[in-house]
Amino acid sequence: MMAIYRDFRPWLLLLVRRRRRFLVGALLVWVTLIAGLALLGLSGWFITASALTGIALALGIPARLDVYVPGGGIRFFALMRTVARYVERLYNHNTVLTLLADLRYRVFGHLTRFDDARLHGERASDWLSRLTADIDTLDNFYLRLLVPPLVALLGVVAVSLFVAIWLPGIALLMAVTLGLLWLVATLLAAAWGFSHSYQQVVDQQSLRRLVVDQVQASAELMSYQTTQWHRTMIATQEQQAFNNQRRLGRKAAFINCLVSVISGLMVVTVVWFASLVFNQQLVTGPVLVMVALIVLGVNEAFIALPASFIKLGASYAAVRRLNALTIDSSSAAPVVMLTEDVDLSIQVNQLSLRYSQTLEPALRCINFQLPAGKRAVITGSSGAGKSSLASVLMGRLKATQGEAVVGGVPTWHLSVESRANHFAMLTQQVDLFDASIAENLRIANPTASDEKLWEVLKAVALDGWVEQLPKGLTTAVGEKGQQLSGGQGRRVALARLMLCSPQVVILDEPFAGVDAATANHLAASLDQWLLNRTVIFFVHQFSSLNPLPGVEYHWHLDAGKLSQCALK
Amino acid sequence: MVTEDTLSLTPRSWLQALAKGERKRLLGSALCGVLAGSQTIVVVVGLAWLIDQLVVDHRSPISLLSIFSLLLGSVLLRAAFQWGHETLSLEASLRIRQRARAQLLDKLSALGPVWLTSQHSGSLANQAVEHIDVLEGYFARFYPQLRITFCLPLLILAVAGWLDYLVALFLLLSAPLIPLFMALVGMGAERLNHDQFVAVSRLSAHFIDRVRGMTTLQLFGCTSAAQQDVWYATDGYRRLSMRTLRLAFLSSAVLEFFSSVAIAVVAMYVGFGLLGYIEYGPSTALTLFSGLAVLLLAPEFFQPLRTLSQHYHDRAAALGAAESVVNILNQPSLVSRHHYMAPRSDRSAIELKAACVAYPSRGQVIGPIDLTIQQGEVVVLSGASGSGKSTLLALLAGFIAPSAGKYRRQESSRYAWLDQQPCLLHGSLIDNLRLAAPEASCEEMFAALHRAGFGPLLTQLPEGLDTLIGERGVGLSGGQAQRLALARVYLSNAPLVLLDEPTAGLDQETEQFVMTALLELAQEGRTLVIATHHPAVIAAAQRHLAFEQGELVEVAS
Repeated sequence: MMAIYRDFRPWLLLLVRRRRRFLVGALLVWVTLIAGLALLGLSGWFITASALTGIALALGIPARLDVYVPGGGIRFFALMRTVARYVERLYNHNTVLTLLADLRYRVFGHLTRFDDARLHGERASDWLSRLTADIDTLDNFYLRLLVPPLVALLGVVAVSLFVAIWLPGIALLMAVTLGLLWLVATLLAAAWGFSHSYQQVVDQQSLRRLVVDQVQASAELMSYQTTQWHRTMIATQEQQAFNNQRRLGRKAAFINCLVSVISGLMVVTVVWFASLVFNQQLVTGPVLVMVALIVLGVNEAFIALPASFIKLGASYAAVRRLNALTIDSSSAAPVVMLTEDVDLSIQVNQLSLRYSQTLEPALRCINFQLPAGKRAVITGSSGAGKSSLASVLMGRLKATQGEAVVGGVPTWHLSVESRANHFAMLTQQVDLFDASIAENLRIANPTASDEKLWEVLKAVALDGWVEQLPKGLTTAVGEKGQQLSGGQGRRVALARLMLCSPQVVILDEPFAGVDAATANHLAASLDQWLLNRTVIFFVHQFSSLNPLPGVEYHWHLDAGKLSQCALK
Repeated sequence: MVTEDTLSLTPRSWLQALAKGERKRLLGSALCGVLAGSQTIVVVVGLAWLIDQLVVDHRSPISLLSIFSLLLGSVLLRAAFQWGHETLSLEASLRIRQRARAQLLDKLSALGPVWLTSQHSGSLANQAVEHIDVLEGYFARFYPQLRITFCLPLLILAVAGWLDYLVALFLLLSAPLIPLFMALVGMGAERLNHDQFVAVSRLSAHFIDRVRGMTTLQLFGCTSAAQQDVWYATDGYRRLSMRTLRLAFLSSAVLEFFSSVAIAVVAMYVGFGLLGYIEYGPSTALTLFSGLAVLLLAPEFFQPLRTLSQHYHDRAAALGAAESVVNILNQPSLVSRHHYMAPRSDRSAIELKAACVAYPSRGQVIGPIDLTIQQGEVVVLSGASGSGKSTLLALLAGFIAPSAGKYRRQESSRYAWLDQQPCLLHGSLIDNLRLAAPEASCEEMFAALHRAGFGPLLTQLPEGLDTLIGERGVGLSGGQAQRLALARVYLSNAPLVLLDEPTAGLDQETEQFVMTALLELAQEGRTLVIATHHPAVIAAAQRHLAFEQGELVEVAS
């Protein structure tokens, strides 16, 4: 119980920051509820009073009933209920969307502190695919799990106090029964469904993994003729998931029945006791009817509660996952700065890297030195450890042993700003954002002028292509740069790099996806831009498609081991 | 090859076909819902009568015990019917989802590896898991509720007509409005859902886009600007969507308005009628009983519709999910559904006779090809990337059925498949080996792993064969994964082995090992077909086929 609360706490605190909106939203829902009850109660009162007056008049007994005040009241409450409902929905939706912005802001903030191991680790696809759904679950928390029970509770208090004006004993009975009902609809439902709804999320993930397996291993499954074997595994998992869902669904149905029975019994019981009181002429007929109708209507506040609370476990699963992402990323950020305007050499001493959960190190005992302002190339096939080495050099990964030192400082200790100012890297997988070409370029330098952008586009031989686009620099590149070919994407990323002025540059496959003529053009531009910078090229292999200008050192990486090669 | 009925599926027709399979339960659930609603009618009418007896006729509560017990009975009965309503639709939705998922998974098998590799496995898994689960709300809630909405108001109308036909007339007059309002609510909800769906997914895409590009944001030191950007994007979306919501929420306000006005109108009418201000039609015959009963029935008349509108988003969500699933179901299958014909000669492993491969989008890519691969042969395929050697290998493997010509292979012969990125299942080492041979014993697995050079690694694994590997467990390097794939080949004992670039991207040590292993397999008398451009592998083969300008030619060795 305490553990669950502790997991929810940071997110609840985020909601608490918007408590005024929260309370106003709850108040509006409450007003809607009360207006509905008042409408029903007043109508009952009015009808009964009319009936009694009518009978009295028919019997010739002088009687009077003011029809204008109750009539106006009925119209007022009918209108109020409609308006309150409309305003409430609008207002609460606004709150939910504000919370969404808060939640995303917070989660994003945690993610900005991730290092490469966590950003590109094997589990990355897992959390990334669930991230927005988990945040949405938390977002729904407000409308489904916080406002309704509060409103129900306030409704109970208001209704009981109102009834207590005439029938204090019955009001007490109502308060106790409705309180019980509230507990059943919230706590009992939550406790009963918790493990099932938590399990439901876990089941869904397992099922998802199995389906991914079926898709990814389809060639193997088909050739070894084991498709049926795998389908049986899926069917077993699915059956287990469905059994769990069936139990959850039945518990939900049972609690709904329970709520229906308790509220029904309460109506009958209240009418029974009220009629006893009426029989002793301690209360008038119209009031009796009014109380009965209010009791009849009050269950509306409870109907939606069990369905939300029985799924508390699913929200908990989402919270746990988000907590796992946001935990231990709060370690103190490194603060060492590099001194300005010093040429930077690279020195790597006895560097080894081993990812957690892997058996063999990705990098083994690597040593090399690259003097400031010189250029080197490191070759190696995919999986040899090039990206890992690049990450360690850039201070984006912590070496298991040894260290990479740039300008006399281990890169892992450098502050983020210092790294961004002095280092630049063209990553193997370039990231373009769903924005215009200009916006993508200006990530590197927000103040760059249009002329400067055209200059770097010219350096990567994309100026002609961008010029003939109808929207020019403002052309959108699409999600993940999908509107561009792979080669174009890399060249935009390269152009982006050329907007900065770093001292150390790492270029991972700068010529991938371009033809020989373009490669030569790029090489010439790079040669100029790389002047006086310390540079390492990472390429798959030497070839005419990889014209590496001014390279003076060559190392080869194979299975995490670095060896020196003669330069051809 | 492809039947037309699968091609013409629409989201609606697919949902209908699914509902048909569970018709009885769904109708039973709707019936229980109507019966529960009828008990509500009994409760409110009984309550009205009880109050009338108490207040007007001054009967003592004790003398009305039978009515009280009737009410209690109805309350319990209503709960029982509610239980039936919920559990029946729950069961129907579970079974429907099971069937829908099986249908989709069957289709994925029929589409085969060639189609599947062109897709994002994560989004396919989304469709098979999340999108199928989204159907729950539609079948468990919306579908039965729609039927209830057609029946229950009629029942209430009948009871109201018996009590006071003017009130019934009033409700009846609003009845033609109900379909109108349903359409209105429908359109409102549909538009709301659609707009929201589009905007929300665009916004989520924006967020995921920034998260995915975190490396680049960090490299350029602009993470805090991006974080601000995330907030502004979401908040901008909020401001934009509030504008559309102002309109869309009107539909729910209209329903609220209707049920409130119904109460108000009936209350005024009954009140004035009882006071004797109205002397028209049945109003003179109004009593507290009939007045109170119609007052309580009026909101119940609109209740099914209000519930329906609450479930309306289930329908929109189901239609959206169905659309994406139907898109897949409508893809033409690539894998042949028929059993393979046996080769003409007993000695051949595979025979191709004027076989062509055509993709729906790209037309014919290779063929016609005549090729016979004898048992025990070692054949290499070479050619530039994109020349068609992978397609030919896929054709030989049966991953894609020939668009023309004949493909013959030994019936039910298992064969082994190895490509440059061997697939690791999310599971233990045992699961990954069972993929090739579900019946294999642990001893056989040990032997196969040792032979594949996985032995030294195995001793390091904390739980031996039960160690989880891949995303949930121990990560394997490319070379280690390839050794595991090789162990699968050994374990399966398949006489025919198809390999797609088995040595590409491996470190030198593993590459050497795989080369030796291939030669061993050949010596065992297995048939090997290898797509490669590795000179040493080509040199070791008996036959060398090469794609040159789109033509398959035999290169003399």
